[in-house]
Amino acid sequence: MPITKSSIGNTVFATSIYGDQWAGSDGDRLTIALQLLQSETASTIQIDSFVDSLEYTPSTPVSSIIESTTDWRVDPNGQYRLIASNSSFIVALTEDGNSPKWPDSSPGKSIDVELKTALDEAWVTEVSGVSQGAYISQSQHMLAMPSRLGLHAQEDASTIVWPPRQLNAEGVRIPPASNKLDSNASILTWTRLSAAGAPSEFSLRAPLLGGISTVLVEFASGPKGVFMLADDENGQASIGQEVSFEVRRLYGQDNLIHYGLKALLI
Amino acid sequence: MVDVAMVGAGQTKFGNHPLGLKGMWSEAIEKAFSSVDNDCLPNMVDEAFIGSIAFGGSQLGNTAALLTEHSGMDGVSVRRVENACASSGFALRDAWMTIKSGQADIVVAGGIEKMNDLSAERKRYWLGVSGDTEWERLAGLTFPGTYALTARRYFHEFESTHDDLVHVSVKNHMHGFDNEMAHLRKDVSFEKARSGFMVADPLTLYDCCPTSDGASAVILVADHLAHQFTDTPIWVKGSGAGSDKLALHDRPSLTQLRATQLASQKAYSIADVQPSQIDLAEVHDCFTIAEVLATEDLGFAGRGEGGIFARNGQGRRNEGDVTINASGGLKSKGHPLGATGTGQAVEVFKQLRHQVEAPRQVRDAEIGLTHNVGGSGATCAVHIFGRER
Repeated sequence: MPITKSSIGNTVFATSIYGDQWAGSDGDRLTIALQLLQSETASTIQIDSFVDSLEYTPSTPVSSIIESTTDWRVDPNGQYRLIASNSSFIVALTEDGNSPKWPDSSPGKSIDVELKTALDEAWVTEVSGVSQGAYISQSQHMLAMPSRLGLHAQEDASTIVWPPRQLNAEGVRIPPASNKLDSNASILTWTRLSAAGAPSEFSLRAPLLGGISTVLVEFASGPKGVFMLADDENGQASIGQEVSFEVRRLYGQDNLIHYGLKALLI
Repeated sequence: MVDVAMVGAGQTKFGNHPLGLKGMWSEAIEKAFSSVDNDCLPNMVDEAFIGSIAFGGSQLGNTAALLTEHSGMDGVSVRRVENACASSGFALRDAWMTIKSGQADIVVAGGIEKMNDLSAERKRYWLGVSGDTEWERLAGLTFPGTYALTARRYFHEFESTHDDLVHVSVKNHMHGFDNEMAHLRKDVSFEKARSGFMVADPLTLYDCCPTSDGASAVILVADHLAHQFTDTPIWVKGSGAGSDKLALHDRPSLTQLRATQLASQKAYSIADVQPSQIDLAEVHDCFTIAEVLATEDLGFAGRGEGGIFARNGQGRRNEGDVTINASGGLKSKGHPLGATGTGQAVEVFKQLRHQVEAPRQVRDAEIGLTHNVGGSGATCAVHIFGRER
């Protein structure tokens, strides 16, 4: 989902395409911030107050998410500060030591208020409830984060390996990730699951969205992967079509939000 | 080396079962032992292997001991075998290997699952934990989704459309209609199957097997005991198994199951049987596309010709060289996960002994095959059975 940027002085502001009223069905202040950071020249950044503005606690530290998905480095004495409004979905990147003057509210794309309300309520229930979903531990999310969020890949005998593997066929440990997969990939096949066919993690949101779409893609360097399709309201996937990737909320469980990459049709 | 004979086989009806775990298992065991022509009792069993994914979590530990306790096999060396939907296919293989190695003479292999007393949420949870949880499920995939990805790619690579899958569905419902053990005994028209509710595009409800309760068990014995129990043992001529990457996206091909190819090559080799000699095959049609792939990977159709095979009705009972899923398959007979593999063996046992209801009998059946797949193809067990040793 493209962000909308504006600036006042040396402060850059970003909202989703819905303006500062909503970050979309699987977006939040963090997903907007990541896109903002990716669009600016990387440097060092302070994030303390930004972390406090998030609605839910991410399953992995925000600093690790930022450093896995962007070239920015989190530093308590960083050159820039990342700040978000607590009352609306607007994020600021500033060199200024003072709190920014937030710009006037901008409308953006029209919002289906009923859908927004239902999705917001679904997230609340999903995050706080006892999930019937599959359980991936926080430590496992942490271990796989560079691969999951940053598409970091290993190399084994000139073959690019992703998602991460442990031993190769000779019993030798495959070295840690040293490559990054391409930013785009090509769809090999796709499906749209009805709400009834979706995993239980998505059982509250899938009916509201009319199901969920998943694509199986191939990167130019060889690895393949499956990703949920984001923002597919106005388009249908097709074999051979290119996709890009963005960090979005995947699901909520045990009072934590789990983030991952989703594919976007190009 | 010791040869292995199947001398008894039994199962519950598959479906929404009123009995609990202990009741279902004891019914399958009761039927298996009563199917043995001459006296064979549960307390004669040396070893038992019971396949299950774990009944929706109600008994994760020591599952097998719970069941033997309620089926007259107290004290028997027993364990649960878990390989997702291939659990009892592998239980059968373990039983076969145990006798082959000379470690036991009388072994029970079986499987059981109870799913229909779970809430819809819990059911979906358990149905989706046998793929790659971290890299597939959290990208939105359950097995309908995984097989839908395979089907769409198959249509792209080969001369095939969804209509070919409809032919599979119609055939298996037709076969299962006469099977008293089947979960869905419905004769389904081509048009009805073609216009089913879309579960995971392009797969409709009629491409998906039901979630069933059920239990099944077979009794294997060493060759020197076979004729003590029956004059018509069914010989386990070959057993093969294989595995593959857990996640579909990690496999080189999206339209072949390497685990099936590896398992069937081993089974054919041990049995010294060619695919063309198989009279009936119970294949793992958890989704209709899975049967299309199976007919290719097992050697009944050429690569990319599984759709044509289905379209031409070549797997219909007594119409082609091989009858595919005479029982109705998972699509119609049902799919109680851990009970499916030995349930297939029960069908082949009865077919090869010419003991099924008249309209269902595969003519002159001499050699049968079972094909049991775990998940989207991460594991597979193939067995070949014959009337002749």
